[in-house]
Amino acid sequence: MSDLVVPEAAPVATPEDRGPKLAVRDLVKTRRSTSGAIVTAVDHVTFDVRVGEFVCLLGPSGCGKTSILNVLAGLDEPTSGQALLDGRPITGPGPDRAVMFQEPALFPWLSVAGNVELALKLAGVPAAERTDRARLWLANVGLAPFADAQPHELSAGMRQRTQLARALATDPEVLLGDEPFGSLDAQARELLQDEMQRVWLERGGQKTFVFVTHNVREAALLADRVLVMTAAPGRLLEEVRISAPRPRQLDDVLVARVVSDVHELLMREVVRARAEGSDRPIVQEDEER
Amino acid sequence: MSDDTTADATSPQPSADEQLDALELSEEERLVLARVADIVRRINYGTVVLVIQDGKVVQIEMAEKFRLR
Repeated sequence: MSDLVVPEAAPVATPEDRGPKLAVRDLVKTRRSTSGAIVTAVDHVTFDVRVGEFVCLLGPSGCGKTSILNVLAGLDEPTSGQALLDGRPITGPGPDRAVMFQEPALFPWLSVAGNVELALKLAGVPAAERTDRARLWLANVGLAPFADAQPHELSAGMRQRTQLARALATDPEVLLGDEPFGSLDAQARELLQDEMQRVWLERGGQKTFVFVTHNVREAALLADRVLVMTAAPGRLLEEVRISAPRPRQLDDVLVARVVSDVHELLMREVVRARAEGSDRPIVQEDEER
Repeated sequence: MSDDTTADATSPQPSADEQLDALELSEEERLVLARVADIVRRINYGTVVLVIQDGKVVQIEMAEKFRLR
């Protein structure tokens, strides 16, 4: 009976904890459209992410997921509210947070290994260590034979794996992913999802992951918690805490069940938004709304 | 599930205690039921999955839902 695997107590950030790794407090993000109107992308969003947690932000396109991630990455500033890392406001990008983008953004004039080594150089890793660490991480994602290739010689999935190696080689505390597998074909996507689960397991729950996705299956497969957002302007709609051991499979009963529940919720939300005409970003003519 | 949900005094149904006694649960089985009861008490909305292999519950999984607005 000792080998019975049971879900641990639901992960709730309590004041007794040493505090969340990331915290988003009443975050509002607006931007000015080309016509000059103010568009609300993120509307008073609050959530915490604990150390070692894997959280997926899920929502219809245009719901402000990427805006939230950009604020967490330090690539953008909140219009109001706060984004905190270890309790301190995020003021810019840092080596403690690696970001994976939908497009891998590799430097085309550097080799695969060169791209990873550059990240290590920027993170302050001594030159003597860089080559070995880059090779190690490329081997971890199955790209050892391609270390000397140029990015254009790789498939889209391999470029994405290079980005994963680059992100993890610097040993960041937080990995932020903006639809990192969004541009991949189904098979490459599945391989990388397995890869992500393996990486999460190997890091022993020490790394904190926040992924943005509109893929319900991906969220159910990877996340400890799925935060489902409304259509624009983005607010939090529902949270699903998933306690199932990894690696998970898409046809696991619980995963399939979560996928079906969340999918239904999202479809209802999209239909509701369409009916209210709010699937387009809400435009504020004045400050009041 | 609790003693009194089906406790219609006139019901011919055996009580929960009687049903449990009749099952003569092993220590392992009682542990599983205790774990499930604990989860059911914690969750307001969600799903619990028991994974069974070779006639034994080897894993309990759960997903809990919270409405945020």
